[in-house]
Amino acid sequence: MSDEAVATSPEQQRALEAFYFREARLLDNRQFRQWLALLCEDIRYLVPSRVNVQVDNRQRDQEAMLSVERELEGEDSRGCPIREEGYLQLTLRAERAYKINAWAEQPPARTRRLVGNVELLAQEGSQYRVISNFHLAYTRPGCANALYSGQRRDLLLAAGSGFRLQRREVVLDYAEIALPTLGLLF
Amino acid sequence: MLTGSAGTWRPADLVNGDASLISRRCWTDPQVYALEQRGIFGRAWLFLGHESQLRNAGDFVQAYMGETPVILARGGDMGLYASINSCTHRGLPVCRADHGNARRFICPYHNWSYTVEGDLVSIPQEHALQHRPDKRELGLKRVPRVASWRGLVFGSFDPDIIALEDYLGDMRFYLDAFLQRFPQGIEFMGAPHRWLLDANWKLPVENQLGDVNHGAFLHSAIIPREAQDTIEALGYSVVTAPGHGATFRLMPEDAPVDEVAWGMEGLGGLLGGEEVQAYLRDIQAQAAQRVGPLRARMKGLTYGVYPNLSFLWSNASFKVSHPRGPGQVEYWSWAVVPADAPESVKRALRTNYSSFFGPGGLLEQEDAEVWVQQFRGSNIDHADDHPYFYGLGLGEERPHSELPGLVSVTANEFYARHFFRRWRDDLQAAREDR
Repeated sequence: MSDEAVATSPEQQRALEAFYFREARLLDNRQFRQWLALLCEDIRYLVPSRVNVQVDNRQRDQEAMLSVERELEGEDSRGCPIREEGYLQLTLRAERAYKINAWAEQPPARTRRLVGNVELLAQEGSQYRVISNFHLAYTRPGCANALYSGQRRDLLLAAGSGFRLQRREVVLDYAEIALPTLGLLF
Repeated sequence: MLTGSAGTWRPADLVNGDASLISRRCWTDPQVYALEQRGIFGRAWLFLGHESQLRNAGDFVQAYMGETPVILARGGDMGLYASINSCTHRGLPVCRADHGNARRFICPYHNWSYTVEGDLVSIPQEHALQHRPDKRELGLKRVPRVASWRGLVFGSFDPDIIALEDYLGDMRFYLDAFLQRFPQGIEFMGAPHRWLLDANWKLPVENQLGDVNHGAFLHSAIIPREAQDTIEALGYSVVTAPGHGATFRLMPEDAPVDEVAWGMEGLGGLLGGEEVQAYLRDIQAQAAQRVGPLRARMKGLTYGVYPNLSFLWSNASFKVSHPRGPGQVEYWSWAVVPADAPESVKRALRTNYSSFFGPGGLLEQEDAEVWVQQFRGSNIDHADDHPYFYGLGLGEERPHSELPGLVSVTANEFYARHFFRRWRDDLQAAREDR
């Protein structure tokens, strides 16, 4: 993946950020059905597993030795990503939240997402490759508080005056998963 | 039940005769925990990994035996070796990667280096000294017993423990219903998902050992009532030996192949398309020949092997509940897939696990929540005189003409009573040894 951002106009940058800010607000306000409306129906939603890899001696003294990609067991790996989902699983997650017996979130979590470092990496036609960082503060009765942090690698499709999410890969920052659940909508 | 000051209790105070009453302290007391480390994790066969992770000489994976970090490796002679991951000089871990392939493990502090079998080969500073230590005495501490059955590798700190095959006993009959179903057995996919839970290690174990009955209640936001009805109508719960258990559905002889075949009911099977479904039907078509007609009709749910290995057949995952003190679990889980399946089919099938289980799973987030809450409840001192009721179905289990072990309906909690009877006896034996 190229890691250089491309030039964007202030309007384009603002439009991308507006999409992410609204998305964060919908999720924090638990308006999950409205969040679903931001997704393409062929969405791929991925959370790679993050492993402690052996140093490759041939890569010593090179940036590649410390590459984040080496730590990820993702979609194309022979490992097992933590999540590989489509519209069906995301709908199950969203709809489950409104059932009175969804005990893992009852009473519901109070969350606050801060999204930043929004960078457009490429644009081809109506498709935008965008990365962003997030912090997600999580508190729920009967549960330890948690702070999530990560990077989202998205493909957005221009749709009307805004965007739709077509693909998201969430790179979570953890060494040990000391977090209440990785089943959230990041 | 449990009375008296700390240090005066006996295991029989925690678990009554038929294990229908169990003290909350079983999950919370530091002295109980210390006795478990010695009496259970110091003696039992403990799951370390799978041979599919160790194909070549030098391949290694990390594992734990209780709280003890262990490196499991394929040696130069292609044997399996398990060594404690702690340098004999100053105690640092000599291996930091989750898995990989190595010729040497090297301690960062003074570069003492070891072979993958655990033998010490070099002490750099010795060249400046007149007296050179005997390296044969200074290898990594070896786990005295390592054994493999059907590719599942176990280790034990007890040099005199019974053979692994005998330890597993009749659980092999039930494990084989899955493991032998596939022409080349199974394969573990990648590093385990490992996450920390503020709970006691026995809570995930008990859940996976036979508690399919909670599905209709805890998971009712996800699992449709009809699926639970099928489990109740066709479900069996089996205890082959105390602490080992299996639950499964025995499908009718005339059930359509799509209803019997493993994997079809998971999201990977449902959404995987023609290729995946054709593979799963083909496997089911061979099942009677491979595992016999009875086991061909088995559609597994959850299994447990004493003390802390679980196998979730329905969602194809192996799990180990590692203790981290009375109040924390480091829970490991792997997706497992048929070794002979095409790569694309393996990738589709691993989502049978990850959609519902693991740290992000739709169902397991609910299980994790109740383990944490049960642990909290178990800490309520003023309820110590009210032990938990484990008596559902007491004495209703029976031998069966075709299924080895004691057999009952899934609502019978005998799997947990048998577990805690063995647990109590192991603790008592450890106490008498002191």
